[in-house]
Amino acid sequence: MASAATQKTSWADDVDELEQPNKGEDFVDENGIRTTIEYTLNDEGKKITRKIKRVLQKEIVDHTVAEHKSWTKFGQEKGSKPGPDRATTTVGENVWLKLSAGNKSSEPEPSAEQTMKNNLVRAGAGKVVCRLCKGDHFTAKCPYKDSLPGLEGTDTPPFGADDTGTPAEPAAAAPATGGKYVPPSMRGARGPGESMGRPGGSRDDLPTLRVTNISEDTQENDLRDLFSRFGRVARVYVGRDRETGAGKGFAFVSFESKADAQLAMEKVHGKGYDNLILSVQWSQPREQR
Amino acid sequence: MRPILLQGHERSLTQIKFNREGDLLFSASKDHVINVWFTDNGERLGTYDGHNGTVWTIDVDSQSRFLVSGSADNLMKLWSVQTGKCLFTWEFNTAVKRVAFSETDDQVVCVTEQRMGFQGAIWIFDINREGDGTQQSKEPASMFHPVGSKATLCAFAHTPGMILTGHESGKVALFDAKTGEEVHTNERAHLDVVTDLQLASDRSYFITSSKDKTARLHDTRTLLVLKTYTTETPLNSAAIAPGKPYVLLGGGQEAMSVTTTSLRQGKFETRFWHKLFEEEIGRVKGHFGPINTIAVSPKGDCYASGGEDGFVRVHHFDESYFKARPYGDLEIED
Repeated sequence: MASAATQKTSWADDVDELEQPNKGEDFVDENGIRTTIEYTLNDEGKKITRKIKRVLQKEIVDHTVAEHKSWTKFGQEKGSKPGPDRATTTVGENVWLKLSAGNKSSEPEPSAEQTMKNNLVRAGAGKVVCRLCKGDHFTAKCPYKDSLPGLEGTDTPPFGADDTGTPAEPAAAAPATGGKYVPPSMRGARGPGESMGRPGGSRDDLPTLRVTNISEDTQENDLRDLFSRFGRVARVYVGRDRETGAGKGFAFVSFESKADAQLAMEKVHGKGYDNLILSVQWSQPREQR
Repeated sequence: MRPILLQGHERSLTQIKFNREGDLLFSASKDHVINVWFTDNGERLGTYDGHNGTVWTIDVDSQSRFLVSGSADNLMKLWSVQTGKCLFTWEFNTAVKRVAFSETDDQVVCVTEQRMGFQGAIWIFDINREGDGTQQSKEPASMFHPVGSKATLCAFAHTPGMILTGHESGKVALFDAKTGEEVHTNERAHLDVVTDLQLASDRSYFITSSKDKTARLHDTRTLLVLKTYTTETPLNSAAIAPGKPYVLLGGGQEAMSVTTTSLRQGKFETRFWHKLFEEEIGRVKGHFGPINTIAVSPKGDCYASGGEDGFVRVHHFDESYFKARPYGDLEIED
């Protein structure tokens, strides 16, 4: 027992010894490259290793050039030591000068979308294929978004059928060209609010779910992504505080088909999302609220 | 290539110039300071302090012994390159917008602004290279007022007796130094003010840049327009690259791209054009403001650009620049 007590040392002390090999190194290898290794501690007490490789470059220059190098510094540089001063001289980022015939005129920089696609391909995510028309663009950017069948082969006919959409438009066009301005609400055979030719009906006709107990940070897009696996989501509204814009904990998700909404409700109600258990119900019709 | 950023100025650059060996770069700025740097590593050698106004222009002689500068404080100063001492000062009635040494380093031409009743003028001074350089004559060897539009730029032409001028109207002219008469003129050389004028190494042709979005190559003797380079932005500077059939142009930015997201690296570019085929072949980004001045080292191995942002960026060309053959293997004798 006694011997054990005298030998007992705190393991923390041992660790300290190994902590800092403050000895730096400085050696020249066979290629003439001088490597300097320094060890320092940063603010958080983490060990930082710095390896600096220096290659000595020898250049043969004109006599006059060599002479210039021997001049003493003057003006604001008076008294400075030899070598560039970091306050005035830094090395910039690499720039490429690609010389090719008829360069910039034909090919402007790749658009943001193009660069994103390139990045994906490089990351090995495969080519970009649109789910609707199989073109090489993102589904969200599909030019046929409105007219092609819904996602994942759900072939529910667009709610309300297309005919309500189309005749309303020519009716609106007529008074517009007739001369006198007609306010949108009086424009004709169309529901309240403007029409953008949305397939199906407008806000009030869509089967809508009320989702409660969502987190403050949940955005429209998050819910759209969450519910899109059940069918096409026509509209998402996230209730927000007027001033801060933070979510108030509830949202309304409208589907294009009631069946999709029904399925979504069954599947999502009671499920966890962002550390909260979601509650999904049919939304109450407007008049009763 | 990695450009070296020289941050020696607090305000925009007005002119930069390489010395004949290409190892020293002089920079002048609106902050009244002239800096001199080593081109190989960007190390600052020193500053020439003494002007009380924007230093509009500088020139160095072929021996890197004297530096001459023109400033908005109505002075033209002669400096010793090595020590930074001001050797002599000439006073004028208006700002000095451009100075240039002659090929033989024994004369200096400068152009003073037209302002407040004083006519614009071109002055030629003899430089006494004997001794320490402080013994200079206050009186010009000759002086004349160029007729017509205000002269903004000047340089010695192929012979010391002739002065090339660039004007506010876009005119380019050739004057006889002694008599002041206009020997040749090209009124329509440019449609807007000529912003820069740089001669080729043998002085047989020169390039001008203008706010009319073009740069042009002219023959020195006849002022014939040899080539035209049309861009979409007003140009502030143009330079001829020795050793390669390229010209460098620098200026503002296309109006459309002004609101693009700003990156750490600026979006203002130096454009490389093929001198003979009049086509753009490359661009180098980096400046955070319009490029005001471009210079290429007489050795053709590096170039520098100075911008409105107060930075000078020195670029040493890498292998790919020298090996590039943008138009095939046609070798052009310079």
